[in-house]
Amino acid sequence: MIVKLSLIILGSSFTGDNFVSTTISGFKEVREEDKSQLVGNVFTNVASNYDLMNDLMSGGLHRLWKERLVSKLNPFPGMKHLDVAGGTGDVAFRILETVNSETEIYVCDINPNMLNVGKKRAVERGETKSLIWAEGDAEALDFPDNSMDGYTIAFGIRNVTHIEKALVEAHRVLKRGGRFLCLELSHVDVPLLKQVYDYYSFSIIPAVGELVAGDRESYQYLVESIRRFPPQDKFALMIADAGFQKVEYENLVAGVVAIHSGLKL
Amino acid sequence: MYRTVAKQLLRGARSRVSGTDVRLRFPNPHSTISRRTFSPSPTPHNSGEIPIPRVYVDLPNSSESTASPSSSSSAGSSSTASSAEEGRRHTRERPRGEYQDEQARVLQSALRHVLTLGWTEDAMMAGARDVGVSPSIVGSFPRKDAALVEYFMDDCLEKLIDRIDSGLEFSNLSPSGRISKLIRIRLELQAPYISKWPQALSIQAHPLNFPTSFKQRAALIDEIWHASGDDGHDIDWYVKRTVLGGIYSTTEIYMLTDSSPEFRDTWAFLDDRVRDAFDLKKTIQEVLSLQHIWQKLLVLEWGTRFKDLSRKFFNGEAYWGHLS
Repeated sequence: MIVKLSLIILGSSFTGDNFVSTTISGFKEVREEDKSQLVGNVFTNVASNYDLMNDLMSGGLHRLWKERLVSKLNPFPGMKHLDVAGGTGDVAFRILETVNSETEIYVCDINPNMLNVGKKRAVERGETKSLIWAEGDAEALDFPDNSMDGYTIAFGIRNVTHIEKALVEAHRVLKRGGRFLCLELSHVDVPLLKQVYDYYSFSIIPAVGELVAGDRESYQYLVESIRRFPPQDKFALMIADAGFQKVEYENLVAGVVAIHSGLKL
Repeated sequence: MYRTVAKQLLRGARSRVSGTDVRLRFPNPHSTISRRTFSPSPTPHNSGEIPIPRVYVDLPNSSESTASPSSSSSAGSSSTASSAEEGRRHTRERPRGEYQDEQARVLQSALRHVLTLGWTEDAMMAGARDVGVSPSIVGSFPRKDAALVEYFMDDCLEKLIDRIDSGLEFSNLSPSGRISKLIRIRLELQAPYISKWPQALSIQAHPLNFPTSFKQRAALIDEIWHASGDDGHDIDWYVKRTVLGGIYSTTEIYMLTDSSPEFRDTWAFLDDRVRDAFDLKKTIQEVLSLQHIWQKLLVLEWGTRFKDLSRKFFNGEAYWGHLS
């Protein structure tokens, strides 16, 4: 049963005789166990059209954002990198292009459909050696401690149920000197642009989703989850709480997208 | 006072190694100084008399500073990172230093690779591997090659200050001799890297890096001038530093192509330039001091002539001059 609270905050309530924790998924209240399933359903639905929809929604800008993310990462030959929630492999391919030699890039995603799309693309591009596709949960990664030089998560962390856990896991798997980079849709504070962005998000995107992917619900969820995600400064504090140092963020397009970075020492 | 200013710049530069907060899409040319942990009751605005203490606080209950409002998100989060870290301190084997220290350590060990790899990211990555840190850390420096060069410049300035503080044989030298000696000491510090120094110079000249390198050089010139003890008030403060800056830069560039043993030609060149500058100073001094004498002479000369002329005119001498 979905339980509505008067304040839209993380909390717990009980139905009948058991405590049920609730979390935020879009603007609907759902039980925690249900959130990951809901997210899973969304991405199963969008997987096949994911790249096309990204292009349409961002006007092709998402490519530039991912390129900026990779240049900030500053990859080097021989690095071990983990790209979480990177199902279709966008970031991983770009890292490979930058490094241009043998590396180990692990692409982890909770959704096997997204991974399959990525694997297909890899075969098409002839990139089979350096990429390792792994199904896994950002909150409970299957990698040993202190094993990765870099960790990226692009447009994935807002779908995680417990963001703090994902951050702690990121801290765990990184080596000393390793960097955490997160590319995520974030909050716009610039007055006029905010209104334009809101209108675009709530009116245009779900409509395009319906037209192109035949799925208004998923894209409605997407847009709402962006608004629910913590703003840049708060997210930076969360990253620091997980143990990272030198936590900074860079706003792209005045805050539509932000790249947060942290250093593990 | 200049000594403490130089030290402050060094401290600021150290903590500024990579403390930028980029909020806009376009890179900010200025960097915010992310404050490190303070001792209790810090004064946010330094009066300039007291150097900012370089505090490596390892106390379990160290009070964290709340950074000034304009400071970057990194400062606020580093304080929370430290508080989270305190709780986990007892579980760690080795103490976790502030990231600036780790970065400085990486840069220090990167210097050892500069002769083989140049002032590049490769040298920094090799340095990182030597220290036992992932080469990913190089990505956290905002202007990577420049970070290495700037660290080296700061390091040399510190070494120069240390040498000055530990006492130099100055008493028997003239001001020009002192300046020569100081510049020579400083340039000898970078002599080991001379084969790769042109690259460092080109990095420093890059528009993005130029403001910082200019500030570093200004601090260096300031330090040399102050240490040489020349307190003449004859020429302008800026002129002094510009002239000295010119001497230093030209000598530095001369050194790049000098192949004489132990750079003997460079030191001879340096002595000549310093002597020229002091000769020029004397010349200008003489000109200026004679100025009022010239003025008096002119007044006298023309005053006399005017008197004669007017006398001749009024006494009719202009017409009947031959009759006087």
